[in-house]
Amino acid sequence: MTEFCKEDIFLVTGASSGIGKAIALMLNEQGASVIAIGRNQDRLNALKSEASGSGCIFCEVKELTENIESLPVYVKELKEKYGKLKGLVCAAGVDNPRALQIIEEQMSREVFDINYFAPVFLAKGFADKRNRTQNAGIVFIASSAGVYPDKGQTIYAASKAALIASMKSISKELAPKGVRVNSISPAYVETPMYFKNLENIGTNIEDYPLGIGKPEDVANMAVYLLSDKARWITGQNYVMDGGVF
Amino acid sequence: MDRNEFLTQMQDILQTDEELSFDMNLDDLEEWDSLSKMATVAFLDSNFGVKTTFSDFESIKTIEDIAKKAGI
Repeated sequence: MTEFCKEDIFLVTGASSGIGKAIALMLNEQGASVIAIGRNQDRLNALKSEASGSGCIFCEVKELTENIESLPVYVKELKEKYGKLKGLVCAAGVDNPRALQIIEEQMSREVFDINYFAPVFLAKGFADKRNRTQNAGIVFIASSAGVYPDKGQTIYAASKAALIASMKSISKELAPKGVRVNSISPAYVETPMYFKNLENIGTNIEDYPLGIGKPEDVANMAVYLLSDKARWITGQNYVMDGGVF
Repeated sequence: MDRNEFLTQMQDILQTDEELSFDMNLDDLEEWDSLSKMATVAFLDSNFGVKTTFSDFESIKTIEDIAKKAGI
């Protein structure tokens, strides 16, 4: 049984790979239409060719940190192009594990721009009731690092903790308006970002009683939180860590 | 800022598609809640240098009343 119909339009950032891609594909599989935002047209095309659901996949190439202040206007433009949005998934993010002694201000600000400010300003645009359906949902992809940081995550962990805190505040603002807001905090998941950082991370997979996660594990939770089955859930952060806490 | 632009800005503050007019009673708008009042406080401050508090809203009944606060 599908959860959604093709008139249910979801905006998914980071949709060209990893967790964002898995969420976009699963939403589509469940009958929804997806505006897939990524930085790489070829990878977005690949996403589109993999999609098998009855809804549409609309691909949009966008560098989200180029002008963060204008992101609410960007959301409005997408609404005018495709229709009112039922959901927003912010999965675009970056990790750059670094010991405290080698962190730099510019790189730190870049991490905050994509992990924190871009999701918040996208949410600002999405919250405008002219851009969304009456009952709508937001899911931020945070990180278990935002709840229990490890070494080398000074900036990354802070950006995700900030996102979780803002999610809670936003959820209280938007609940009376029919918008539910939640976040998911995965530990290590088999994504390109994970493999890229594997050497720096030094993850011991044996520490994960259930093994490291797959993007689909996170997508299952995201799709549930965006569905009407989760109608009584807002302001929550769900840690998904395979039991490694 | 002229009065037309003021109305457009108020439309963004209230996040409504409804066409606004200066004599519109704010209490008739479901969008006129504590968050939109908070946004109005910031709007008056940053655009007109007018400081307002929540207690000022007790005497604000219409959009015209807000415009008067802004001095336009």
